[in-house]
Amino acid sequence: MRNKIEITNNIRKLRFFANEMTQQELAEKIGASRQTIIAIEAGKYSPSLELAFRIADAFGITIGEVFDHEV
Amino acid sequence: MYYQEKKTITSIITGIAVLTAYCIYAFSRYQSGAVTPGDLKFWATTMLIFIGIGVAASIVIQIIFHILLSMSIAYHEKVKNSQCDDKEIEKAVDKTMSTDMVEDEMDKLIELKSARIGYVFAGIGVVGGLVSLVLNYSPAVMLNIMFISFCAGSLLEGFAQLHFYRSGIKNA
Repeated sequence: MRNKIEITNNIRKLRFFANEMTQQELAEKIGASRQTIIAIEAGKYSPSLELAFRIADAFGITIGEVFDHEV
Repeated sequence: MYYQEKKTITSIITGIAVLTAYCIYAFSRYQSGAVTPGDLKFWATTMLIFIGIGVAASIVIQIIFHILLSMSIAYHEKVKNSQCDDKEIEKAVDKTMSTDMVEDEMDKLIELKSARIGYVFAGIGVVGGLVSLVLNYSPAVMLNIMFISFCAGSLLEGFAQLHFYRSGIKNA
């Protein structure tokens, strides 16, 4: 059986460096709800590739700079 | 607590109220002797009426919920900034509602997973209803088992949604 991959993210840090962007502002930019942003930040939800790309685009960086994984 | 959770709780409360009202009405009629288990027309009519009541009640309660939600957002905005005028409050309400009310992929995934749990429960009820016929219970018992299991399945779906919103959900 393969080991489970734990997906981590730097969204909280990235929001801080983007002029303290609020969760609501990020949610508006990517077309998701604030609750989804909170769940992603807390590691309770792993977004789809499409949403992950939209998050990366909102910060103007690559997807690998937003998300990481641990085996 | 967030918008979707509040909305789910309102649906659960509506479901519980309608199911309780059905049980009180139908079983009190049955216990008073006004209806016999073989009177299938009464049971079918009562169930159809309560399905209608359930749909109407959920629409009305959702409307009331959204009005109260807007009022609470406006109140919080006024408390935060007592200088702001009506237009600013309206803007704040619109902004909060538009971001919180968005139904995105996480909401859809939670809805799908919870619906599956609800369907499984309703399916068990259908099997239970058929088993009751095999065991020589009256068709009214089968109808009631099915109706109550569908209602309970929908409540279970709501509770599952709340659980997923609280504990999180994984794609796999």
